[in-house]
Amino acid sequence: MFKNYLKVAFRSLIKNRVYALINILGLALGLAVTMLVFLFVKDETSYDKHWNGYERVYRTGLKADMMGQKMDAPISPNPMANALRTEFTDVEAATRMQAGRQEILMRHEETKVYIPKMARVDSSFFQVFDYEFVHGDPNTALKEDNAIVLTEETARKLFGDKNAMDGIVNYDNRRDLIVRGIVKQPKGHSHFEFDMFLAQNGVQNIWISNNFYTYFRLKEGVELADFEEKMKDNFMKKIEPDVERFLKITVEEFFAQDNSFEYQLQPLTDIHLHSHKDWEIQQNGNIIYVYVFIGIALLVILIAGINFMNLSTARSGKRAKEVGVRKVVGASRPMLVTQFLTESVIQAFLALIVAYGLVYLFLPGFNKVMDTNLEFVNGHIGQTIGFSLLVTLFYGLFSGSYPALFLSGFRPVSVLKGDYTKTKSGASFRKGLVVIQFIASTILIIGVIIIYMQISFLQSKDVGFKGENVIIVPLQTDQMTQNFRNYNDIFLNNSKVLNVSRASYFPGDTPNQNMYVLEGSEEQLPLWNLEVDYEFFKTVGVELVEGRLFDREMEADSVPYFILNQTAIENLNIENPIGRRLGTYINQDGDLAFGNIIGIVKDFHIEGFNQNVRPMVLSVSNNVWFAAFRIADHDKNATIEFIEKEWNKLEPSHPFRYQFLDEKFGALLKQQENFGRMFLFLTILAIIISSMGLYGLASYTAEQRTKEIGIRKVLGASVGQIMNMLTKDFVKLVLIANVFAWPISFLIAKDWLTNFSYQIDVPILPFILATIASVVIAVVTVSSQAYQAANSDPVDALKYE
Amino acid sequence: MIKLEKLTKVYRTDEIESTALNQVSFEIREGEFVSVMGPSGCGKSTLLNVLGLLDRPESGSYLFQGVEVAKFNEKERASLRKQNIGFVFQNFNLIDELTVFENIELPLIYNKIAPGERKKRVSELIEKIGITSRASHYPQQLSGGQQQRVAVARALITRPPLILADEPTGNLDSKNGNEVMELLVELNKDGTTIVMVTHSAHDASYSSRTINLMDGHIVSGKRNEKPELQV
Repeated sequence: MFKNYLKVAFRSLIKNRVYALINILGLALGLAVTMLVFLFVKDETSYDKHWNGYERVYRTGLKADMMGQKMDAPISPNPMANALRTEFTDVEAATRMQAGRQEILMRHEETKVYIPKMARVDSSFFQVFDYEFVHGDPNTALKEDNAIVLTEETARKLFGDKNAMDGIVNYDNRRDLIVRGIVKQPKGHSHFEFDMFLAQNGVQNIWISNNFYTYFRLKEGVELADFEEKMKDNFMKKIEPDVERFLKITVEEFFAQDNSFEYQLQPLTDIHLHSHKDWEIQQNGNIIYVYVFIGIALLVILIAGINFMNLSTARSGKRAKEVGVRKVVGASRPMLVTQFLTESVIQAFLALIVAYGLVYLFLPGFNKVMDTNLEFVNGHIGQTIGFSLLVTLFYGLFSGSYPALFLSGFRPVSVLKGDYTKTKSGASFRKGLVVIQFIASTILIIGVIIIYMQISFLQSKDVGFKGENVIIVPLQTDQMTQNFRNYNDIFLNNSKVLNVSRASYFPGDTPNQNMYVLEGSEEQLPLWNLEVDYEFFKTVGVELVEGRLFDREMEADSVPYFILNQTAIENLNIENPIGRRLGTYINQDGDLAFGNIIGIVKDFHIEGFNQNVRPMVLSVSNNVWFAAFRIADHDKNATIEFIEKEWNKLEPSHPFRYQFLDEKFGALLKQQENFGRMFLFLTILAIIISSMGLYGLASYTAEQRTKEIGIRKVLGASVGQIMNMLTKDFVKLVLIANVFAWPISFLIAKDWLTNFSYQIDVPILPFILATIASVVIAVVTVSSQAYQAANSDPVDALKYE
Repeated sequence: MIKLEKLTKVYRTDEIESTALNQVSFEIREGEFVSVMGPSGCGKSTLLNVLGLLDRPESGSYLFQGVEVAKFNEKERASLRKQNIGFVFQNFNLIDELTVFENIELPLIYNKIAPGERKKRVSELIEKIGITSRASHYPQQLSGGQQQRVAVARALITRPPLILADEPTGNLDSKNGNEVMELLVELNKDGTTIVMVTHSAHDASYSSRTINLMDGHIVSGKRNEKPELQV
């Protein structure tokens, strides 16, 4: 019997090629999207799951509210890992790490290479993160202070085909290190990615300064909550002496002043998708994208499934006779249901084959747009195939269920008489499905427009500085840091170099925070500090609001001067700030050096737009790591070449590198831009699938109304009137869908926008545009069919019956 | 074989109620060839549908081989139907996606006959009705007469004791029509009971008895002369 089902299924597919093509292509697109989303979600949720005992690994963090300044960061004090390791029997292994923010120049003999990602770790690092060692011993590799562990790739870059083990590498022209281990790149993703690991084992017993990432693994069977309590008690006691020393108040007084300070634990596997704190090691993924893409996949499946249901039931007239005959010769209803489900499942599996091809086709583009590295054939190929088979089966059963039940319910007496074309029951159901389909498409259209409006709002937002034509060059050596201020004129000799400046970091970098005290007040003020030179404001285009800028002529070298940004003034509620004195800690004994606040500058962004501007304090310092050049708009390449030439004369050891400031800052928006592009792509796919369904349905409707159209034409209806008649119904459905889609989209959009610190109000424009777009799509799709029907010869139409 | 007693069938639409069969009683013995005649709308097709268990009567009794089937549910009716009744329709009702062979085979599949046995029975029957060369053709590739012979063969394949034919020659020219009628007569000779609805007195003359139906009532029933065979 099954063979018979298959036979009929294939023959009916071939006979109804157009419908079959619409069904299969629609399903295939739907399945392809589902698989892409599956690969993406699988990849995003796989972070840090390859480490041994990953379920028991935690990162410590800090949540504090001091003087109204909130802080939530994954950082911890220098001695914490050591304390975890030595004072807690529940801890199996603990380590701490500092992540390098910059490329480092590494040298082996004559080979000089910038290595992008460096970590300073203690010798227990590889006990928590079990990198696979090709050479060396994970337990001892980093015991010596001059030890370094390289990844295989880094070793190859520096040593070529030679064995790097126990070889000497030079670190940043500063010191020589001995390679004590070579590790493989981990098999899975992690929330960090390093090319080399420098030993850093010394412990300083300062608990109030937080400059390390600390990770530890609990022993099996340890209750997290119990441990957390013990840990907090222990660490709060450790911090007490430091609080008293630096803040000159007791811990009790500290908490009595509405301050809070708490160590927190983060499960390792939560970091990639759920952690968006200050000072993350690198930009993490976002669980929202995972949800959004799952949502889109569901919508696309729904749309394609509806196509299938609609076309099958619409064509039911053609199958009705068959149903009648089969019933008369002895088919029971379950047999017919099985037959039709078999057909839809077969179509779904044909679609799956096409879908595999589509995934193969789309994957490179997807990877490029989403900045991912997904592969179809990877470690989870079995899961991927299994998932796709399951989804396909479900798809076939789900989308075949309604047609199966609908068709098998035909009464043989009426269908064999030829009454089936008059059955109206399916029509309103089909209309309902079209409405649902267009609700889904319209939500996506509105969504995509709002996403693009938000992104372009962020792109055009006043960042508070002028990043065009400014290039940033890292000062790699102490020599350059100390002496660069004397070199300005060398560059300014070229008239196309407009300004030269230096700062401890620039927009697009990670800022630093420090404690300050306002004279006459006991309050500790955690402010974000930026060290600059006198030319900074001119070079970068930061505007003065009140007071004055730093001025070499007016300021003594021995005293600090401070400029605050507007947010600092607002947040700290400082009245008449100009002329007041601010103190900064100059040593570990809590001694302060005071200086005048001389000016207020307009807010400017350092971090991306999901972060509000921080309260900042700027001061002049020689302790800076970047130079900036503002150059003329024309002949930029020649100017940069000039700078490079002069630079290399001053600093031959480090090859010259630069980045445009606007591009550097713009990179912070990349994740949102990728997301927007992907959303756009998926929306277009969804619209294509919807249109295909609508096209099929329209052609069916036109076919069904052939006789009516013929009669109307004989009675004098024009082509336009007929087209209007056929199109009107569909437009009505699309408009109804819009009525539903508007409020749903509004709520989703409103919710999504709360993720941004700077957001647009949900505008009306996307809703109007989406309505216009959906109507246009419907009219264009339907009218080609309607035009054909309206132009047909009425004689043929009437003979047809 | 069939005994109807005061059988009534009413059709209801939203507003109108029409009585298609009104207290009809008659009996058909095994081996009979009965024609049902009457003007359009007299209830001929309804009668055939009720006899074929495609439709349920409102009231009255329907004994099929001595079993009361009027109150059978869908499943019981389907089961009785596929084992005991073959149908032949005016418009053939062959499945376009299946070949001649497969169309005839279909009832055997639903009766769960083994493939080997199916093949044997279908081949024999195809030979008998003289369309062996067309076995792998699709219905659209056959003439009307050939299609109807295939339809008759499909009705016969399960060897049902009863064949119900609804104007089997209605869509055929007289030559093809006669061929189909002769096929039915031959079947009848072999012992199959046949009930045939027809408009044509010529066709009715092939049968052994004619029931005349008017507005849901039987108005007369007469035994026919031995049919004259015309070629």
